[in-house]
Amino acid sequence: MRAAVAFCFLCAVPAAAQENGDLDRIPTLQEEASAPVAPASNAHGKYYLEDAFALSSSRGSLAVPLPLPSSSDWGNRTSLDAYDQWSLAQNLSFTFSDRFSLTESEAIVFPRDAAHNDLREAYFTWEPVAATFLELGRINFKNGIALGFNPTDFFKSRSAVVLASADPSAQRGDRLGTLMLRAQTIWDGGSATFVYAPKLHTPRPLVGAAPNWIDPSFDQTNASDRFLFALNLELGDYSPQALVFHESGRTKLGLNISHPIGQSVIAYAEWAGGSEPKLIANAIAYGKATGTLPAFASVLPPTSTSRAFQNDLAIGASWTSEAKVTLNLEYHFHQAGFSGADWRGWFDIGAADPLAASELWYVRGYASAMQQPMSRHQIFWRAAWEDAFVEDLELSGISFVNLTDGSGMAQFSADYNLSNSWSLGVYVGGTFGGKRTEWGSLPGASSAIFQVVRYF
Amino acid sequence: MKKLLVGFALAALLTPAALAQSKPPTAQDIVAAADTTRNPGQPFRITSTLVEYVGGKPRDRVALVVFAKENKQTHQFSNLVRYVDPPRDLGKMVLMNGSNMWFYDPSSKVSVRISPQQRLMGQASDGDVVTANLAKDYAAKLLGEETLQDADRKDRACWHLDLTAASPEAIYSRIEYWIEKGTNRPVKGKFYSDSGRLLKIAYYHKYAEQLGGMRASETIIIDSVDQNLVTTMTTSDMRAQDIPDAWFQREYLPRLKVD
Repeated sequence: MRAAVAFCFLCAVPAAAQENGDLDRIPTLQEEASAPVAPASNAHGKYYLEDAFALSSSRGSLAVPLPLPSSSDWGNRTSLDAYDQWSLAQNLSFTFSDRFSLTESEAIVFPRDAAHNDLREAYFTWEPVAATFLELGRINFKNGIALGFNPTDFFKSRSAVVLASADPSAQRGDRLGTLMLRAQTIWDGGSATFVYAPKLHTPRPLVGAAPNWIDPSFDQTNASDRFLFALNLELGDYSPQALVFHESGRTKLGLNISHPIGQSVIAYAEWAGGSEPKLIANAIAYGKATGTLPAFASVLPPTSTSRAFQNDLAIGASWTSEAKVTLNLEYHFHQAGFSGADWRGWFDIGAADPLAASELWYVRGYASAMQQPMSRHQIFWRAAWEDAFVEDLELSGISFVNLTDGSGMAQFSADYNLSNSWSLGVYVGGTFGGKRTEWGSLPGASSAIFQVVRYF
Repeated sequence: MKKLLVGFALAALLTPAALAQSKPPTAQDIVAAADTTRNPGQPFRITSTLVEYVGGKPRDRVALVVFAKENKQTHQFSNLVRYVDPPRDLGKMVLMNGSNMWFYDPSSKVSVRISPQQRLMGQASDGDVVTANLAKDYAAKLLGEETLQDADRKDRACWHLDLTAASPEAIYSRIEYWIEKGTNRPVKGKFYSDSGRLLKIAYYHKYAEQLGGMRASETIIIDSVDQNLVTTMTTSDMRAQDIPDAWFQREYLPRLKVD
């Protein structure tokens, strides 16, 4: 009976009393910690110092030998990174983004070749009427909804800079902008953008460094006349974007579209298409035009140099769990890329004729510089877990897999914010696959990078 | 004995104020009234300072400037959130316009579309407990009246309501809500996911005059997934601002300025 009475008493405790049990979880609040922040008018810039130390290992033997020995198996880069915006007048502002780096490795003569500057952005923005913008200068202008491959990112060619992470998200961020005139108007429900990027130089050869450490490398980013028109609309929760891009007599069309499915999924697709030669023919033509390859160089592996309509497609989805894990899975189609027959030709010619190796590797270097996939079919996944195990620790992994030969690359990383000013990062990655596969034929087998960042 | 105890408990729930009212308002009326104490009825800008307490100690501090405007079609709030502190996150932005949600990082210059589930991650998500127009997206049911302690451990006579998602725009599947009788001020909310998991508990307190009304200037958010985590959100500098509808799309994210 006493037990029954006790039970009934517990039943009868007012709900409110049970409800306030969580008040005990509220810590002693520190007034100074929660004092409101008044956004300072000069708090518009982001400055940080970063050091990244890398170790790497190479494969002992390659199916197609490298024309030059692989570089150092260690390296250290210290960078001062700056991004800022200044208001010059009521409707006029200036944006500046730059990274100065000092690099040490066995392959670099210190200090002569150690310094390098990447002027990513420097441009003026004028807003003559509300929500209409005219901009002039070097602008990092990007398009594309996908993560691993962006067919509509038409200004990505030769824009890459040295980074710690192989994650495409990082690669797209820290890159050189293009000198351009950009006009954009935004209205309720859409926007239109026009870009003209002039040719300033003949293109710099893929092989070879900049003439000096402070060279802005316009011969990489402005080596042809380019025009782009983009139309964004907010239609039925699909946020479509249509693009028309014109460069050197070639016109490409593009489309981005995305749509939420339920509470946790975003589906997206990105497509671009236009008439152009295959990757191999493009690479050899570029090598000849820049003087790296002799004019009589044949197209290896043998392929047609004629133009045909080529499609590029990235289609995928992201899914987020309640445990703060986000997974992206994408399929990439690059019609101009290597087919299975192209790969067989690449390996057969490279094994039979060592003198052809430099041209064969040039094709791969070209694809890398242009940030294009080598192969026609690949999948990409990325998984990121925020606040993994402890607050402010993010674990993530990425991988590209060639669907034809099963080879691939993977990188796993851990980023931890020690405080609001300090961050640590570790990136461990490698390539996998047989000797006669896309990724297994690369000289780089594995790498580990340790990174420290101090924000100011 | 059991009947007596149960009867005592019921009596305790029926406060004098409730007994004095001959015709209590409907649950939906109460939630709508609470919405008006949080939302000024005009587009506004506000600064939110969030401090994360891990294991009882302050760890991360984030400051956000939020631009909010009620969507005329959905009557839900569209939000533009810009990080102004710490330096690592400076300039990052989140657009929340119905199911059209994007995250923009000025470092990568890329806008990434995010799902409603991703909206629940990160500090910006805590804005949900402050600017949501709950009466529009939830069907409310009155569970009863309770005397509840607020975050300052003062007794508050409250309506206890159960809110169930009634539109696709509803962020949480279910909310338990305590609203102070008489003032219609929110005192406490418990927010649940689709799977019924309790995600967070919010205590609203430190009511002060802001933009023509008495509004909570501090919200304490107790994380129910991470038992070590408590976040305080202090709001300040609330002011009316004309916000064009054109701002609430991804292409405007790189253009948003905070002066």
